[in-house]
Amino acid sequence: MDLLPVANAEAVVAGARAGDPAAFEALYRAFEAPVYNLARRICRTAEDAEDVLQETFFEVCRSIGHFRQEGSLWGWIRTIAASKALMRLRRNRYRDTDELADDAPAPGLRRDEPALRMDLEAALERLSEISRAVVWLHDVEGYTHEEIALMMGRTTSFSKSQLARAHTRLRRWLGEEVAR
Amino acid sequence: MTAHLTLEQLLALREPGAEPGAAAAREHLDACPTCQAELDALHQRVARLRALPALRPARDAWPAVASRLRHERRGRRARLLGAAGLALAASLALAVTIRHDVAHPASLSATEQAIDTQKQHSAALEATIRQYDPDARPLDGRTARIAEELEDRIAGLDRELEAAELLQAQTDREARRLQLWRERVGLLDALVDVHVTRASNVGL
Repeated sequence: MDLLPVANAEAVVAGARAGDPAAFEALYRAFEAPVYNLARRICRTAEDAEDVLQETFFEVCRSIGHFRQEGSLWGWIRTIAASKALMRLRRNRYRDTDELADDAPAPGLRRDEPALRMDLEAALERLSEISRAVVWLHDVEGYTHEEIALMMGRTTSFSKSQLARAHTRLRRWLGEEVAR
Repeated sequence: MTAHLTLEQLLALREPGAEPGAAAAREHLDACPTCQAELDALHQRVARLRALPALRPARDAWPAVASRLRHERRGRRARLLGAAGLALAASLALAVTIRHDVAHPASLSATEQAIDTQKQHSAALEATIRQYDPDARPLDGRTARIAEELEDRIAGLDRELEAAELLQAQTDREARRLQLWRERVGLLDALVDVHVTRASNVGL
Protein backbone atom coordinates (compact mmCIF):
# COMPACT_ATOMS: atom_id res chain seq x y z
CA MET A 1 0.00 0.00 0.00
CA ASP A 2 1.72 3.19 -1.18
CA LEU A 3 0.02 5.95 0.76
CA LEU A 4 2.86 8.38 0.20
CA PRO A 5 4.94 8.58 -2.99
CA VAL A 6 8.47 7.36 -2.22
CA ALA A 7 10.13 10.78 -2.61
CA ASN A 8 7.47 12.34 -0.40
CA ALA A 9 7.78 9.57 2.16
CA GLU A 10 11.53 10.12 2.44
CA ALA A 11 11.08 13.86 2.95
CA VAL A 12 8.29 13.35 5.48
CA VAL A 13 10.28 10.76 7.44
CA ALA A 14 13.36 13.01 7.42
CA GLY A 15 11.23 15.92 8.69
CA ALA A 16 9.64 13.78 11.38
CA ARG A 17 13.05 12.54 12.50
CA ALA A 18 14.08 16.19 12.89
CA GLY A 19 10.99 16.79 15.05
CA ASP A 20 9.09 18.89 12.51
CA PRO A 21 5.43 19.07 13.66
CA ALA A 22 4.25 19.53 10.06
CA ALA A 23 5.94 16.24 9.10
CA PHE A 24 4.28 14.45 12.01
CA GLU A 25 0.91 15.72 10.84
CA ALA A 26 1.67 14.68 7.24
CA LEU A 27 2.35 11.14 8.49
CA TYR A 28 -0.91 11.15 10.37
CA ARG A 29 -2.93 12.42 7.41
CA ALA A 30 -1.41 9.83 5.08
CA PHE A 31 -2.02 6.82 7.31
CA GLU A 32 -4.97 7.80 9.49
CA ALA A 33 -7.60 5.90 7.46
CA PRO A 34 -5.90 2.48 7.17
CA VAL A 35 -4.76 2.58 10.80
CA TYR A 36 -8.26 3.35 12.01
CA ASN A 37 -9.79 0.70 9.74
CA LEU A 38 -7.39 -1.94 11.10
CA ALA A 39 -8.08 -0.87 14.67
CA ARG A 40 -11.83 -0.79 14.18
CA ARG A 41 -11.88 -4.24 12.60
CA ILE A 42 -10.07 -5.66 15.62
CA CYS A 43 -11.52 -3.62 18.48
CA ARG A 44 -15.04 -4.06 19.77
CA THR A 45 -16.01 -0.38 19.84
CA ALA A 46 -15.35 2.76 17.83
CA GLU A 47 -14.07 4.43 21.01
CA ASP A 48 -11.44 1.74 21.48
CA ALA A 49 -10.43 2.08 17.83
CA GLU A 50 -10.05 5.85 18.23
CA ASP A 51 -7.84 5.31 21.28
CA VAL A 52 -5.73 2.87 19.28
CA LEU A 53 -5.48 5.43 16.47
CA GLN A 54 -4.15 8.04 18.90
CA GLU A 55 -1.79 5.65 20.65
CA THR A 56 -0.45 4.40 17.33
CA PHE A 57 0.46 7.85 16.03
CA PHE A 58 1.85 8.97 19.36
CA GLU A 59 4.14 5.95 19.18
CA VAL A 60 4.92 6.53 15.49
CA CYS A 61 5.98 10.14 16.14
CA ARG A 62 8.09 9.20 19.15
CA SER A 63 9.76 6.21 17.50
CA ILE A 64 10.22 7.40 13.93
CA GLY A 65 13.98 7.41 14.57
CA HIS A 66 13.79 3.62 14.88
CA PHE A 67 12.14 3.18 11.47
CA ARG A 68 14.56 1.57 9.03
CA GLN A 69 14.26 3.25 5.69
CA GLU A 70 14.70 0.05 3.69
CA GLY A 71 11.44 -1.35 5.08
CA SER A 72 7.90 -0.35 4.16
CA LEU A 73 6.67 2.69 6.08
CA TRP A 74 3.11 1.38 6.03
CA GLY A 75 4.30 -2.05 7.14
CA TRP A 76 6.07 -0.48 10.13
CA ILE A 77 3.10 1.70 11.09
CA ARG A 78 0.68 -1.19 10.58
CA THR A 79 2.60 -3.43 12.96
CA ILE A 80 2.50 -0.72 15.63
CA ALA A 81 -1.26 -0.33 15.07
CA ALA A 82 -1.91 -4.08 15.21
CA SER A 83 0.11 -4.41 18.41
CA LYS A 84 -1.76 -1.52 20.02
CA ALA A 85 -5.13 -2.99 18.99
CA LEU A 86 -4.23 -6.44 20.35
CA MET A 87 -2.96 -4.82 23.54
CA ARG A 88 -6.32 -3.07 23.85
CA LEU A 89 -8.11 -6.43 23.51
CA ARG A 90 -5.97 -7.90 26.27
CA ARG A 91 -6.52 -4.88 28.48
CA ASN A 92 -10.28 -5.17 28.01
CA ARG A 93 -10.14 -8.89 28.84
CA TYR A 94 -11.35 -9.89 25.45
CA ARG A 95 -14.43 -11.95 24.92
CA ASP A 96 -13.39 -15.35 23.61
CA THR A 97 -16.82 -16.65 22.64
CA ASP A 98 -18.83 -15.74 19.59
CA GLU A 99 -21.80 -13.46 19.86
CA LEU A 100 -23.95 -16.25 18.40
CA ALA A 101 -23.04 -19.78 19.44
CA ASP A 102 -22.83 -22.34 16.66
CA ASP A 103 -26.24 -23.86 17.08
CA ALA A 104 -28.12 -21.05 18.80
CA PRO A 105 -31.01 -19.66 16.76
CA ALA A 106 -30.96 -15.96 16.10
CA PRO A 107 -33.34 -13.85 18.14
CA GLY A 108 -36.89 -14.30 16.85
CA LEU A 109 -36.13 -17.54 15.03
CA ARG A 110 -36.95 -21.03 16.20
CA ARG A 111 -34.26 -23.67 16.07
CA ASP A 112 -35.99 -25.47 13.16
CA GLU A 113 -36.28 -22.39 10.96
CA PRO A 114 -33.98 -21.95 7.94
CA ALA A 115 -30.45 -20.81 8.74
CA LEU A 116 -30.04 -17.13 9.29
CA ARG A 117 -28.09 -15.47 6.51
CA MET A 118 -26.20 -12.49 7.70
CA ASP A 119 -24.28 -10.00 5.68
CA LEU A 120 -20.52 -10.18 5.95
CA GLU A 121 -20.17 -7.10 8.15
CA ALA A 122 -22.63 -8.47 10.69
CA ALA A 123 -21.06 -11.92 10.64
CA LEU A 124 -17.56 -10.47 11.14
CA GLU A 125 -18.84 -8.35 14.00
CA ARG A 126 -20.27 -11.42 15.71
CA LEU A 127 -17.04 -13.40 15.74
CA SER A 128 -15.16 -13.58 19.00
CA GLU A 129 -12.63 -10.77 19.31
CA ILE A 130 -9.65 -13.08 18.95
CA SER A 131 -11.08 -14.95 15.95
CA ARG A 132 -11.95 -11.67 14.26
CA ALA A 133 -8.47 -10.29 14.90
CA VAL A 134 -6.84 -13.41 13.45
CA VAL A 135 -9.06 -13.55 10.36
CA TRP A 136 -8.49 -9.85 9.69
CA LEU A 137 -4.73 -9.89 10.25
CA HIS A 138 -4.26 -13.05 8.18
CA ASP A 139 -6.76 -12.80 5.36
CA VAL A 140 -6.92 -9.03 4.86
CA GLU A 141 -3.67 -7.57 6.15
CA GLY A 142 -1.60 -10.52 4.98
CA TYR A 143 0.24 -11.43 8.18
CA THR A 144 1.51 -14.99 8.47
CA HIS A 145 0.46 -17.28 11.31
CA GLU A 146 3.97 -16.96 12.72
CA GLU A 147 3.72 -13.16 12.80
CA ILE A 148 0.25 -13.25 14.33
CA ALA A 149 1.38 -15.73 16.97
CA LEU A 150 4.30 -13.45 17.84
CA MET A 151 2.08 -10.38 18.16
CA MET A 152 -0.47 -12.24 20.27
CA GLY A 153 2.04 -14.06 22.42
CA ARG A 154 0.49 -17.39 21.39
CA THR A 155 1.51 -20.34 19.24
CA THR A 156 1.27 -20.72 15.47
CA SER A 157 -1.19 -23.59 16.01
CA PHE A 158 -3.40 -21.26 18.02
CA SER A 159 -3.49 -18.78 15.15
CA LYS A 160 -4.31 -21.53 12.64
CA SER A 161 -7.08 -22.99 14.76
CA GLN A 162 -8.60 -19.54 15.34
CA LEU A 163 -8.62 -18.91 11.60
CA ALA A 164 -10.31 -22.24 10.89
CA ARG A 165 -12.81 -21.57 13.63
CA ALA A 166 -13.57 -18.12 12.21
CA HIS A 167 -14.13 -19.48 8.71
CA THR A 168 -16.35 -22.28 10.02
CA ARG A 169 -18.55 -19.65 11.70
CA LEU A 170 -18.53 -17.26 8.77
CA ARG A 171 -19.40 -20.02 6.32
CA ARG A 172 -22.37 -21.06 8.41
CA TRP A 173 -23.65 -17.58 9.19
CA LEU A 174 -23.32 -16.50 5.58
CA GLY A 175 -25.16 -19.59 4.34
CA GLU A 176 -22.20 -20.71 2.25
CA GLU A 177 -21.94 -24.34 3.33
CA VAL A 178 -21.33 -26.66 0.42
CA ALA A 179 -23.49 -29.80 0.34
CA ARG A 180 -21.24 -32.82 0.87
CA MET B 1 -7.81 -40.08 0.25
CA THR B 2 -11.59 -40.52 -0.06
CA ALA B 3 -13.02 -38.28 2.73
CA HIS B 4 -13.55 -34.63 1.82
CA LEU B 5 -10.98 -32.12 2.98
CA THR B 6 -11.60 -30.29 6.23
CA LEU B 7 -11.64 -26.52 6.37
CA GLU B 8 -8.28 -26.65 8.19
CA GLN B 9 -6.81 -28.63 5.28
CA LEU B 10 -8.23 -26.21 2.72
CA LEU B 11 -6.82 -23.26 4.65
CA ALA B 12 -3.44 -24.98 4.85
CA LEU B 13 -3.39 -25.35 1.07
CA ARG B 14 -3.47 -21.56 0.78
CA GLU B 15 -0.35 -21.16 2.91
CA PRO B 16 3.07 -20.81 1.31
CA GLY B 17 5.24 -23.90 1.68
CA ALA B 18 4.12 -27.51 1.82
CA GLU B 19 2.73 -28.75 5.12
CA PRO B 20 2.61 -32.46 6.03
CA GLY B 21 -0.13 -34.15 4.00
CA ALA B 22 -0.33 -31.30 1.50
CA ALA B 23 0.50 -33.50 -1.49
CA ALA B 24 -2.27 -35.98 -0.69
CA ALA B 25 -4.72 -33.15 -0.01
CA ARG B 26 -3.81 -31.52 -3.30
CA GLU B 27 -4.33 -34.80 -5.10
CA HIS B 28 -7.78 -35.18 -3.56
CA LEU B 29 -8.67 -31.61 -4.38
CA ASP B 30 -7.80 -32.06 -8.05
CA ALA B 31 -10.27 -34.92 -8.28
CA CYS B 32 -13.08 -33.67 -6.02
CA PRO B 33 -15.57 -31.06 -7.29
CA THR B 34 -17.11 -30.70 -3.81
CA CYS B 35 -13.79 -29.72 -2.22
CA GLN B 36 -13.02 -27.49 -5.19
CA ALA B 37 -16.35 -25.71 -4.59
CA GLU B 38 -15.49 -25.36 -0.90
CA LEU B 39 -12.09 -23.88 -1.73
CA ASP B 40 -13.69 -21.49 -4.23
CA ALA B 41 -16.14 -20.36 -1.56
CA LEU B 42 -13.22 -19.79 0.80
CA HIS B 43 -11.37 -17.70 -1.79
CA GLN B 44 -14.51 -15.67 -2.47
CA ARG B 45 -15.12 -15.09 1.22
CA VAL B 46 -11.59 -13.78 1.66
CA ALA B 47 -11.98 -11.59 -1.42
CA ARG B 48 -15.20 -10.17 0.04
CA LEU B 49 -13.47 -9.50 3.37
CA ARG B 50 -10.77 -7.57 1.54
CA ALA B 51 -13.39 -5.61 -0.36
CA LEU B 52 -15.25 -4.43 2.75
CA PRO B 53 -15.45 -0.64 2.81
CA ALA B 54 -12.83 1.15 4.88
CA LEU B 55 -14.16 2.44 8.18
CA ARG B 56 -13.19 5.99 9.05
CA PRO B 57 -12.95 7.74 12.43
CA ALA B 58 -15.80 10.02 13.39
CA ARG B 59 -13.38 12.61 14.76
CA ASP B 60 -10.01 14.00 13.76
CA ALA B 61 -7.61 12.51 16.30
CA TRP B 62 -4.63 14.63 15.25
CA PRO B 63 -5.20 17.56 17.68
CA ALA B 64 -5.15 15.12 20.61
CA VAL B 65 -2.00 13.38 19.35
CA ALA B 66 -0.28 16.72 18.67
CA SER B 67 -1.24 18.04 22.08
CA ARG B 68 0.19 14.94 23.76
CA LEU B 69 3.40 15.26 21.77
CA ARG B 70 3.71 18.95 22.66
CA HIS B 71 3.07 18.24 26.31
CA GLU B 72 5.75 15.58 26.36
CA ARG B 73 8.21 17.79 24.47
CA ARG B 74 7.52 20.73 26.76
CA GLY B 75 8.06 18.58 29.83
CA ARG B 76 11.34 17.33 28.41
CA ARG B 77 12.43 20.88 27.55
CA ALA B 78 11.45 22.18 30.99
CA ARG B 79 13.62 19.52 32.58
CA LEU B 80 16.51 20.36 30.24
CA LEU B 81 16.14 24.12 30.62
CA GLY B 82 15.76 23.80 34.36
CA ALA B 83 19.13 22.09 34.59
CA ALA B 84 20.72 24.33 31.96
CA GLY B 85 19.29 27.47 33.57
CA LEU B 86 20.73 26.59 36.96
CA ALA B 87 24.11 25.88 35.42
CA LEU B 88 23.99 29.11 33.43
CA ALA B 89 23.03 31.18 36.47
CA ALA B 90 25.80 29.62 38.54
CA SER B 91 28.45 30.16 35.86
CA LEU B 92 27.34 33.75 35.25
CA ALA B 93 27.36 34.56 38.96
CA LEU B 94 30.83 33.11 39.34
CA ALA B 95 32.14 34.94 36.28
CA VAL B 96 30.69 38.26 37.41
CA THR B 97 32.10 37.87 40.93
CA ILE B 98 35.59 37.03 39.71
CA ARG B 99 35.57 39.81 37.13
CA HIS B 100 34.42 42.40 39.69
CA ASP B 101 37.07 41.36 42.13
CA VAL B 102 39.84 41.48 39.58
CA ALA B 103 38.97 44.22 37.10
CA HIS B 104 36.21 46.41 38.62
CA PRO B 105 36.44 46.27 42.34
CA ALA B 106 34.55 49.46 42.95
CA SER B 107 31.82 49.96 40.38
CA LEU B 108 29.99 48.41 37.40
CA SER B 109 30.78 49.61 33.89
CA ALA B 110 28.01 51.18 31.82
CA THR B 111 27.77 48.00 29.74
CA GLU B 112 27.46 45.83 32.81
CA GLN B 113 24.76 48.10 34.17
CA ALA B 114 22.91 47.75 30.89
CA ILE B 115 23.29 43.95 31.11
CA ASP B 116 21.89 43.98 34.64
CA THR B 117 18.90 45.99 33.43
CA GLN B 118 18.25 43.44 30.67
CA LYS B 119 18.56 40.58 33.16
CA GLN B 120 15.98 42.24 35.39
CA HIS B 121 13.60 42.62 32.42
CA SER B 122 14.21 39.02 31.53
CA ALA B 123 13.42 37.80 35.05
CA ALA B 124 10.23 39.90 35.16
CA LEU B 125 9.02 38.48 31.84
CA GLU B 126 9.78 34.91 32.94
CA ALA B 127 7.79 35.56 36.12
CA THR B 128 4.86 36.78 34.02
CA ILE B 129 4.94 33.59 31.94
CA ARG B 130 5.19 31.36 35.02
CA GLN B 131 2.26 33.18 36.58
CA TYR B 132 0.21 32.59 33.44
CA ASP B 133 1.03 28.82 33.64
CA PRO B 134 0.89 28.09 29.89
CA ASP B 135 1.27 24.31 30.36
CA ALA B 136 -2.13 24.20 32.00
CA ARG B 137 -3.85 25.98 29.09
CA PRO B 138 -4.85 24.59 25.69
CA LEU B 139 -3.21 26.14 22.61
CA ASP B 140 -4.25 25.88 18.99
CA GLY B 141 -1.71 24.22 16.71
CA ARG B 142 -0.32 27.40 15.15
CA THR B 143 0.12 29.22 18.46
CA ALA B 144 1.79 26.16 19.97
CA ARG B 145 4.25 25.99 17.09
CA ILE B 146 5.12 29.68 17.51
CA ALA B 147 5.61 29.23 21.27
CA GLU B 148 7.83 26.20 20.69
CA GLU B 149 9.93 28.08 18.17
CA LEU B 150 10.41 30.97 20.62
CA GLU B 151 11.31 28.58 23.44
CA ASP B 152 13.84 26.86 21.17
CA ARG B 153 15.43 30.17 20.26
CA ILE B 154 15.64 31.24 23.92
CA ALA B 155 17.33 27.92 24.74
CA GLY B 156 19.78 28.61 21.89
CA LEU B 157 20.54 32.09 23.27
CA ASP B 158 21.25 30.61 26.70
CA ARG B 159 23.82 28.33 25.13
CA GLU B 160 25.36 31.34 23.35
CA LEU B 161 25.49 33.25 26.64
CA GLU B 162 27.49 30.45 28.17
CA ALA B 163 29.85 30.52 25.18
CA ALA B 164 30.20 34.33 25.44
CA GLU B 165 31.69 33.92 28.92
CA LEU B 166 34.69 32.27 27.29
CA LEU B 167 35.57 35.27 25.11
CA GLN B 168 39.02 36.56 26.08
CA ALA B 169 38.73 40.27 25.34
CA GLN B 170 36.61 41.92 28.02
CA THR B 171 35.14 44.55 25.69
CA ASP B 172 34.06 41.93 23.20
CA ARG B 173 32.68 39.74 25.95
CA GLU B 174 30.55 42.48 27.54
CA ALA B 175 29.26 43.74 24.20
CA ARG B 176 28.32 40.21 23.17
CA ARG B 177 26.61 39.50 26.47
CA LEU B 178 24.60 42.72 26.25
CA GLN B 179 23.51 41.89 22.71
CA LEU B 180 22.45 38.37 23.72
CA TRP B 181 20.56 39.53 26.80
CA ARG B 182 18.71 42.10 24.69
CA GLU B 183 17.74 39.40 22.22
CA ARG B 184 16.62 37.17 25.06
CA VAL B 185 14.37 39.93 26.44
CA GLY B 186 12.93 40.46 22.95
CA LEU B 187 12.10 36.79 22.56
CA LEU B 188 10.63 36.53 26.05
CA ASP B 189 8.53 39.59 25.31
CA ALA B 190 7.21 37.85 22.19
CA LEU B 191 6.52 34.70 24.22
CA VAL B 192 4.50 36.72 26.72
CA ASP B 193 2.53 38.10 23.77
CA VAL B 194 1.88 34.60 22.45
CA HIS B 195 0.77 33.17 25.77
CA VAL B 196 -0.91 36.10 27.41
CA THR B 197 -2.44 38.06 24.58
CA ARG B 198 -2.67 35.11 22.14
CA ALA B 199 -1.27 37.42 19.48
CA SER B 200 -1.37 35.49 16.26
CA ASN B 201 1.30 37.52 14.52
CA VAL B 202 4.55 37.97 16.38
CA GLY B 203 6.70 38.53 13.36
CA LEU B 204 8.20 35.03 13.08
